[in-house]
Amino acid sequence: MDSVAFLEGLAAQMNAHPDRYEVLGDCDLVLGVVVQRPDGQAFRARITFEGIACLDVCEAEAGDEALADCWLEGPLDAWSAMVDDIVEHGRATGRHTLNSLTLMGESIRLRGQDVMGIDKFSRFNQSLQEFFDGAAARSVRAVG
Amino acid sequence: MGGTESYPNLPDTSPVGQPLDWAWLRGARSEWGVQPKPSARGLTMMDIAVGSYGEVPERPGHRSMAPRGADVDPDTPDMGYLLNAKTDVWALNVRELYEEAVARQWSATRDIPWGELEELPSDLEHAICQLCTSLTEVEMIAADLPAKWMWRMNHDFIEAKMFLCTQIMDEARHAEVFRKRALANGGGLLKSRAGPASLLRTIIEAKTYTQATALLHLLGEGFILDLFRQGELIAPGPVEKKMFRMAMQDEARHVAYGTMHIRYAVEHDPDVADEIHEALDVGEAALFELGTSPDLGTALALLLAGGSEQVEEQGFAMQGDLLRKQVTSYLSRCERAGVPRLDRTTLPLDLLGITRDDLVGVGA
Repeated sequence: MDSVAFLEGLAAQMNAHPDRYEVLGDCDLVLGVVVQRPDGQAFRARITFEGIACLDVCEAEAGDEALADCWLEGPLDAWSAMVDDIVEHGRATGRHTLNSLTLMGESIRLRGQDVMGIDKFSRFNQSLQEFFDGAAARSVRAVG
Repeated sequence: MGGTESYPNLPDTSPVGQPLDWAWLRGARSEWGVQPKPSARGLTMMDIAVGSYGEVPERPGHRSMAPRGADVDPDTPDMGYLLNAKTDVWALNVRELYEEAVARQWSATRDIPWGELEELPSDLEHAICQLCTSLTEVEMIAADLPAKWMWRMNHDFIEAKMFLCTQIMDEARHAEVFRKRALANGGGLLKSRAGPASLLRTIIEAKTYTQATALLHLLGEGFILDLFRQGELIAPGPVEKKMFRMAMQDEARHVAYGTMHIRYAVEHDPDVADEIHEALDVGEAALFELGTSPDLGTALALLLAGGSEQVEEQGFAMQGDLLRKQVTSYLSRCERAGVPRLDRTTLPLDLLGITRDDLVGVGA
């Protein structure tokens, strides 16, 4: 989860399966991801969505997540638990969905500097979930 | 100008002797040949907002149903529009929101896995049915209100009217999905009382559209958006979770329009802020009444607790947390909209433990 290669794998899944996203509709936002590693360092990335495609995944410097509309921030073990659930069930279930995880703010937090950006997480929620559910694909698991 | 050729061989009269007018072919006074190019996703409303067709006048020169950009005859009838200033209805994101709405429509019939509904304990089934009864009741206000005002909006603001049409469709679907859920699992519609109606009445009777949209989009739908987001905790099963997630996406669009409309209105006419504050003073009191209404409040607490046994210990505490999130989001959106409420709101911030630092984009 804490590598550009993993996120690029998710992006490749999205771009290879436009039919899954077409039914959900266009998704236009820049999402930040912050994964806090046990050693105290953090992996940061920005993911750019436009229409039904993922246009770009790039690693970000500390603080650059604030350039995204909103970002998801949490410890590596929380992210890993989410990915494990997706791999096991083919998609996030129960309390492992993005919406559930960020709701309590105990493991993964939804953050942003603009409430309009944070609300985009709600506006495009099912597309974002589908994106992370791409972790179930064998090609992505091999990287993760 | 609309075409330059004169087409000299066209007849002056029809086969039955009626005089013919070829003005549309011989040079209408409108822009011709702008030829917008489709973007990757098709030909969007943003793509066609080119040349004069993309210019939305601050105060349109006519009040007819003529499409903006057409060559309008001076004697077209006045439709009696009341909202004739762009600041009355516009939001800078309205074209994008319209496209988003069209692209993200869903079906309450097809996209909810109704076949996966499982029998629930009686208390939970009653609670979800009561919540769905209350939601079916309040959702349609967000259709009735735009419908009340749309015919009063100048037709030059067509994109705003188109977006509101999508909102009306969204709300019809929300009423549909909650009504279906109430009936689908052996329960039914339960209590509807006078209390919640006071907020709905406050919204529908707002004196101006901008006041109405502050009450509806910023306050009412903002609170419902956060309620839907909490659907993960409220829903007793995957069917209800899906229902709340899908409705949440729609609701967030409506809130995005309302927030940015109010911001646009206040930026262009700071005096509007006072009338919005006055409306929200009344609206907050009515909303609090709705939130603490006996039916909605207790049903939510029972669902959050997962059953009647844990209501006191768990349900009301979680409900308090939900309310805290709702109020924090609402106050953050007010700040973004240009109508800061932190120092004016009558909502019980001390009781909820909300401070300036909790608000997005406001804290230190």
